[in-house]
Amino acid sequence: MRIWTSALLGMAGIAAAALPAAAQQSGAMTLMAYAGIFRENYNDVVVKPFQASGAPVQYVEGGTSAQMLGMLRAQKADPQIDVVIMDVTTAALACAEGLVEKMPAAAWPILSQIDPQARAAGGECGPGVMFDHLVMVYDTQAVKPAPTRFMAMADASQRGAVGFAAPPNIQGLAITAILAQAQAQDWRNIGAAMASLKAIAANTQTFDPKPDGYTMILNGQLRFATGWNARAQLYRDQSQGRIGVVLPEEGTIFQINTINVVANAKNRARAAAFVNHALSAEPQKAFTERMFYGPTNTTAQVSPEAMQRTALAPEFRNRVIALDWEEMLKLRDGWNQRWRREVIAAAPR
Amino acid sequence: MIGWLLAAPALAVLALAFVWPMAGLFRISLNRTTETGAMEAAVTTDSYARLVGDDFTRELVLNTLTLAASSAAIAVALALPIALLVRGASPRWRGLLALAAVAPLLVSGTARLVGWMAILGDQGMINALLTGMGISTGPLALINNWTGVRIGLVESLMPYAVLVLLAGLGRLDPKLEEAAATLGANRARTFLRVTLPLAAPALLAAWLLTLVLGISAFITPRLMGGGRVFVLATEIYDLALETVDWPGAAALAMLLLGGLLALMILRGVVAAFFPGNRAEKTP
Repeated sequence: MRIWTSALLGMAGIAAAALPAAAQQSGAMTLMAYAGIFRENYNDVVVKPFQASGAPVQYVEGGTSAQMLGMLRAQKADPQIDVVIMDVTTAALACAEGLVEKMPAAAWPILSQIDPQARAAGGECGPGVMFDHLVMVYDTQAVKPAPTRFMAMADASQRGAVGFAAPPNIQGLAITAILAQAQAQDWRNIGAAMASLKAIAANTQTFDPKPDGYTMILNGQLRFATGWNARAQLYRDQSQGRIGVVLPEEGTIFQINTINVVANAKNRARAAAFVNHALSAEPQKAFTERMFYGPTNTTAQVSPEAMQRTALAPEFRNRVIALDWEEMLKLRDGWNQRWRREVIAAAPR
Repeated sequence: MIGWLLAAPALAVLALAFVWPMAGLFRISLNRTTETGAMEAAVTTDSYARLVGDDFTRELVLNTLTLAASSAAIAVALALPIALLVRGASPRWRGLLALAAVAPLLVSGTARLVGWMAILGDQGMINALLTGMGISTGPLALINNWTGVRIGLVESLMPYAVLVLLAGLGRLDPKLEEAAATLGANRARTFLRVTLPLAAPALLAAWLLTLVLGISAFITPRLMGGGRVFVLATEIYDLALETVDWPGAAALAMLLLGGLLALMILRGVVAAFFPGNRAEKTP
């Protein structure tokens, strides 16, 4: 099975795999994580300080977390990646399939500094390295006064101006859980969320914003979308405030990115050193202040201004819904079907 | 024997680039997906049973066939006048017109779709024109729905239909049409009673080819559907890259491949059965 899988998926990922292979030959540790502005900023404030100690790092763009999981599966017999940063749901699969190392607290003293929720998110494997959360983004030029609730997207004046991703996309799952919690104080109760979802769906232009909700707002195609806080905050800054970011009153959920050492990593010692570095207070502070991901290291001394733009700010913490992603994965197929049959089907164009 | 030797490099490439990955895909389809989505090595037909027993799979098949069949029919209907125009042109212009008809194939399909998104969007050129002229009071929904997908798919299938029709029509003997005219048939009657019946095998071949392409289309439903259009190809993508259910994605891909192979065999039977298409094989 391993040979077949490696052969097939190795062919599919051959171009991407060539880069880490070259890096391995040069002795660099290979980190696989997200592309675009994440890479630019993570490279600047986390990777470069680590490299300054004389430990070269090759950053490989892995696409989405699912694509990264595919790469790890393809390379299981001969890993070319040493460290991977991916979202918690996909990391749980990598952990269950033995693609990443377990990280016992006894062998990783840094874990004592990590937020319990971030540690629990990783299970037996790598912990959360940064918190992100679901937000609502809107066009500040077209929507006045500033909205405070997700249900602002259901207002009759916003017909055709809303874009948000439907399940199985993780944002669709998240907003379903948030609206269920708001209606029934139980995020698992999708039935309680249905009326709200249908009301928003009636205004929805697309359930699959392309290229993304932020760009569609900037192009004037949408006035509302959902997004992840860190990227939304950057787009807000880059657009000089045209994009507004709201942590809605209904609440939010954390989307936790985990960091893991790949099982049988070729540069295991450097990989462990990098994971320790990435989880330590100083890089976490620097990355939060650069990109507004919440730090998972509880000793990170983040500036109040930056912390205010994360869900870890005191006034926002009680809006964060404690959601068990493992339980969510078990509910996902049923939710997906209800969305298709009851929400999307009720919102024709 | 020499023929097999000459074909050996191509067969080797085919085996490496198609048969081997397909065999691997089939193997993955026999693995098991746990409740939380992890993939376990196994030899089981669970994924096939789950898909076959799911009402939504049947809906996907119906959606896919309806979209592909209707888009292919429209594409062939639109391609026929173009093919007739090229066929009737003087030799001096024929090559240039044929090139123009298939020119969209020279541009990336994704780039063409991005262009369509700009044209058909709520703030796109067509809606701006319609509202500017007072024909409509608000934007028409030309994208992020089945209409948008059908428009994009027809446009992408038309060049293939033109190519097949040019090959088929090129073998029709123009003397038959001349004879009809000599016997008093006007142009419309000649077209309906002579050209069209003789072109039927080429029309069927063009429809079958574009049907197969339409069934496997992914980019158009994905980019133009706005999350409202569910077909087999988009479902395979979701299973593979959203829910990370590889055995399910692989099983659905194998079922789709089986269906497409059946259609290709049908196309071969049609090509062998109709006299018009037998003529195509004549050197």
